[in-house]
Amino acid sequence: MHFELTYRQTWLHALHPVFKFVMVIVLFVAILFIHNPNFLFYMLIGFGFLYIGWTGHSFKLISILSSPFLIIFVSSATSMMFFGDGTNTWYKIGLIHITEESFYRGVHLGLRGILFGLLGLLFALTTRPVLLFYSAMQTLKLKPKYAYAFMAAINLLPIMVSEFQTLRNALKVRGVTYNSGIKGVYQRIQYFSIPLLAQSIRRAHRTAIAMEAKQFSNDRTYYYQVSYSLKDLYFTFLILAIMATSFWVSTIYSVFPIDNVRMR
Amino acid sequence: MKKKLTLTDILVTIVIALIFSVIYKVWGPLYNILSVFGLHVDQLIYGMWFMAATIAFLIIRKPGVALIAELAAAQGGEFLFGGQWGGISLLLYGFVQGIGCEVVFALFKYKSYHLFIACLAAIGATIGSLFLDVFYGYIDQLALWNLTLLIVARLIGAIVITGVFAFYIVKALEKTGVTKIIRPLSADDYQSLEEEIR
Repeated sequence: MHFELTYRQTWLHALHPVFKFVMVIVLFVAILFIHNPNFLFYMLIGFGFLYIGWTGHSFKLISILSSPFLIIFVSSATSMMFFGDGTNTWYKIGLIHITEESFYRGVHLGLRGILFGLLGLLFALTTRPVLLFYSAMQTLKLKPKYAYAFMAAINLLPIMVSEFQTLRNALKVRGVTYNSGIKGVYQRIQYFSIPLLAQSIRRAHRTAIAMEAKQFSNDRTYYYQVSYSLKDLYFTFLILAIMATSFWVSTIYSVFPIDNVRMR
Repeated sequence: MKKKLTLTDILVTIVIALIFSVIYKVWGPLYNILSVFGLHVDQLIYGMWFMAATIAFLIIRKPGVALIAELAAAQGGEFLFGGQWGGISLLLYGFVQGIGCEVVFALFKYKSYHLFIACLAAIGATIGSLFLDVFYGYIDQLALWNLTLLIVARLIGAIVITGVFAFYIVKALEKTGVTKIIRPLSADDYQSLEEEIR
């Protein structure tokens, strides 16, 4: 967990965090109701440009973070491709039944998985969690106890990760072996979760008592003030423009010969 | 009995959820590889995603912790996985799964902490996740046998992991004494105190 991220600030960093968050959530829900893979494909290209060009992070980091996209695509697509409902059979062997409809539905799900991952990263790479919570307190009137608890927990996370690693090494050194099957699964969860839980709950409890004593659970003045700017307006227009252009292009040049992957 | 969540409750809940995020991180790659086959073997460990909710509730025993735990697990997932699972889409899942658990706990007025309740909460969370999967994964468009397999595998996994495992882990955790410092005082505690005085 000891690596430093250097990046340049882009205009995406300067957006109002809660506003950006709400926009991304709205976009997510909207995408759930898009059943046209062509539309999704062009949206992916549009947001892909934004992701590659304007997060302000190095190309290397962006490529590392993008590497699971292929796995996401394959894992979201396969079960639908092989076992989805459909009538126009392409290939059938045993239980595997690939139809035209299920194939394109699988591709659609894969594209959607990548698009969700990409938007999630676009948000995560350009938003500082601290600012997100501060602006949630200021604009959404989130109770300070929730916001400060989340911020404190994020800072406890590295300790938990290193404790986890220590524990794993300790178990390895002692030559702990696990049972097979479901018993082994429980054993594993037990060996790891109980010491980690006991330690972390105690630490969290101590931290929280100290925070309560310092009135982090009540209204305080804010160190960071978050405000809207014209950039938020541009961002909204940009998203609308990407959506509209994708829709327009998808009606002219369709990549997949299908415009609704749902059957019923 | 004080039912309102304090900062301590919230922080402990989030920390519990984050621990499970750390544990998922190790399981995540396994989960990914399993899911490639499309036969829903991966669904058997899907219950790991709901586990934080039941554990947090069984420890803290207050309304709202299950939902916070699920949201925090999703958020922790985002920080650790770097959006590998779609970052914010996890929040949506966390939300519906947390609601699924909360509804079950609320039905028993947040006063029942038996194994049976943990299992019911697991089913509640499963229903929540399946609901979102209809939109996100079009699972209603799978072949019928495959859909049945998915639901059954996820339910079994959830009941075993989120219900039974979570219950026994909390039981084991009670022996460490750590639950005593955060659990709200119950009538039993007052009674035992009075007996001691006498």
